[in-house]
Amino acid sequence: MTTVFECKDLHYAYLERFPALDGVSLRVGQGETVALLGANGCGKSTLLKLLDGLLFGDRGTFTAFGEEVTEDKLEDEQFNHGFRARVGFVFQNSDAQVFSPSVREEIAFGCLQLGLDRASAAARVEDVLAMLDIADLADRAPFQLSGGQKKRVAIASVLVMNPEVLLFDEPTAALDPRTQFWLIELLEQLRGAGKTIVLATHDLDTLPDLADRCVVFSEQHRIVADAPTAQVLDDRDLLLSANLIHGRASLLRKT
Amino acid sequence: MTAPAWLLQPEVGLCPCGCIGKRRKGSFVARTLAGATGVLRQAIFSEDVAAGPGLLQRLDPRVKLVSMVGLLVVVALVHSLPILAGAYVATVALAVASGLSVGFFIKRVWLFIPIFTGIVVLPATLSVVTPGDVLLPLWHWHGHTHGVTEQGLHGAGIIVTRVATSISLVVLLTLTTPWVRLLAALRALGVPKIFVLIIGMAYRYLFLLLDAVEDMYTARKARTLTGDAGRDGTRAGRRFVAAGAGTLFGKAHQLSEEIHQAMTARGYSGNARTLSGFRLRGADLAFALVAAALAAAILVADYKVGR
Repeated sequence: MTTVFECKDLHYAYLERFPALDGVSLRVGQGETVALLGANGCGKSTLLKLLDGLLFGDRGTFTAFGEEVTEDKLEDEQFNHGFRARVGFVFQNSDAQVFSPSVREEIAFGCLQLGLDRASAAARVEDVLAMLDIADLADRAPFQLSGGQKKRVAIASVLVMNPEVLLFDEPTAALDPRTQFWLIELLEQLRGAGKTIVLATHDLDTLPDLADRCVVFSEQHRIVADAPTAQVLDDRDLLLSANLIHGRASLLRKT
Repeated sequence: MTAPAWLLQPEVGLCPCGCIGKRRKGSFVARTLAGATGVLRQAIFSEDVAAGPGLLQRLDPRVKLVSMVGLLVVVALVHSLPILAGAYVATVALAVASGLSVGFFIKRVWLFIPIFTGIVVLPATLSVVTPGDVLLPLWHWHGHTHGVTEQGLHGAGIIVTRVATSISLVVLLTLTTPWVRLLAALRALGVPKIFVLIIGMAYRYLFLLLDAVEDMYTARKARTLTGDAGRDGTRAGRRFVAAGAGTLFGKAHQLSEEIHQAMTARGYSGNARTLSGFRLRGADLAFALVAAALAAAILVADYKVGR
C-alpha cells in the first residue's frame, strides 16, 4: 500500500509550554480510513493540523506523498498548491470554516484559490450543491444557516476541490442524528471512491461505520495503540485507560 | 463523587428572608446590549427585504452603488433647506417604490440622527454660537438676550436634513441590495480584493461575536437575582462589560486564528479570488441616467436658489 502520510517522532507544544504531541509516529496508507481516538485535549486536532501543514512540529518529521512537509516548503507556491489540492480539512468548528459572505462563494473559495477558472469553479459548485442536497442554500449568508447546514457547507467547500486525502476533526460532534447518519453515509461513499480519510473523534458508537483502523492517544499525548477498529473496540482496558469510556459505561458495539 | 447535603435539598431562594426580589427595569448595560442585538438582528431581516421585488432591488448593484455615491456627493454640496427636504422626500418615495415599509425606513434613518447629529447641532442653534434674531429667549447677559436664533435653527435644519437624506440614501442601498451582491459590486468597481474580503468577514463574524456577547449576558442574567439597578448594580455592570470585552477579545483572537488556518487549508496565500458576475440591462442604464439628471437638477436648483 502506498504511503500517503508518515510522521516520525513528532513533538508539538503550544506556546512551547503546553504539550499536545509527545513523540507521535504514524503511517497512513492510500485508501485507508484511520480514526484518531482520544479524550479531550489529547492532541488529535493538533495532529490533524500538522497533517494539513497548518502547524509544524517542534521536533520530528512529517512526510506527505513522499516529500517532507515543512514551513519553508509550503511557502513555495507550486508545492503549496499541490499539497492543498491533495489534502482537504473539515474543521470541527464550522463557523471558522464558513467565512465567505454566501454559501456559493464559500464552496467556490478553494477551487478559485488553487487556480481553477471561474466557469469551471461555478460548475463544480453546482454539482457539489446538488450532491449534498443544499442547492436551496446557495445564496444564503452563513449566519442564516443551522449547525447541520453549516457542516454540510463546510464539507462541500472541501469536496469541491476533490482532494485525495480528507481530514475530519470531530465530524459527528454536535450534529443531530439525521445529519450524523447522512455524514456516515457520505464517508462510506468517499471510502468507496478510494479516498484516504483521517478523522479525529471520541464518538465510539459510529466508529465501526467510519474507520478501518484506530489510533488511540493517551492523555499524555502519546499513541498507545494502533490496530483495526474491531480489535480496539474489544479492548475495554485500553479504552478505559485512554479515557474513552467510563468504568460504569457499557460499550455499545454494533455487530 | 459525593454531592454535598445542601445540593440534595430543595431551596426556594438563597436569601434568608425568603423574599423573591422586586421587579426592576434593566440596567443601561442590559438595554444597550439588547438594543445592539436588536439592530443587528434587523440586518438579517433586511436580507429578506433585499431579495424582495421592488424598483431598486431589480437594478444592477454597481449602478445603484455609483448612483447613490453620486447623489451623496450632490446632497453634501447643497445649501438650500427646501431642496434638501425635497431630496429627502424623494428618498422616501424611492423606499415606497422599492416595497419598503415607510415606518421602518423612517425609523431606521431617524434612529441615529438625534444621537449623532443632534448633540453636535444643538449648540449651533444658540445665539452664542450663531448670532442672529433670537426666536426663543433663554437667558440675559449684560443686557443682551440670548437663546435660539432663526439663523441657528436654519443652519441646524440644513445639517439635520442633509444627514437624514444621506443616511436615507445609504439605507436605501443597503436595504435593497443583498450583502453578497453589494460586496461583489464593490469588487467589480475596483475596490481592492483584500479590502472587500475583510469587510465581508467582519460583517459575517459580527453576528457570531454578538451571539457570544448575548450568551455571556444571558448566562450572567440567569444567575443574577437582585437586578442591576443602583450603584452596586452599575459597578457590577461595568465589571461585567470589562470582563466581557476581555473574553470576547480572546474568543475573537482564537477564531481569527482558526479562520486563517481554514483559509490556508484551501489554498489562500494572500490573494483572494472570488466568484462574481454582473450584466447591465436597459433598466440599469435608465436608472443611471435618471440619477445623473436628478443630481444635475439638484445642483442647478441649489445654485439658482443660492443666487
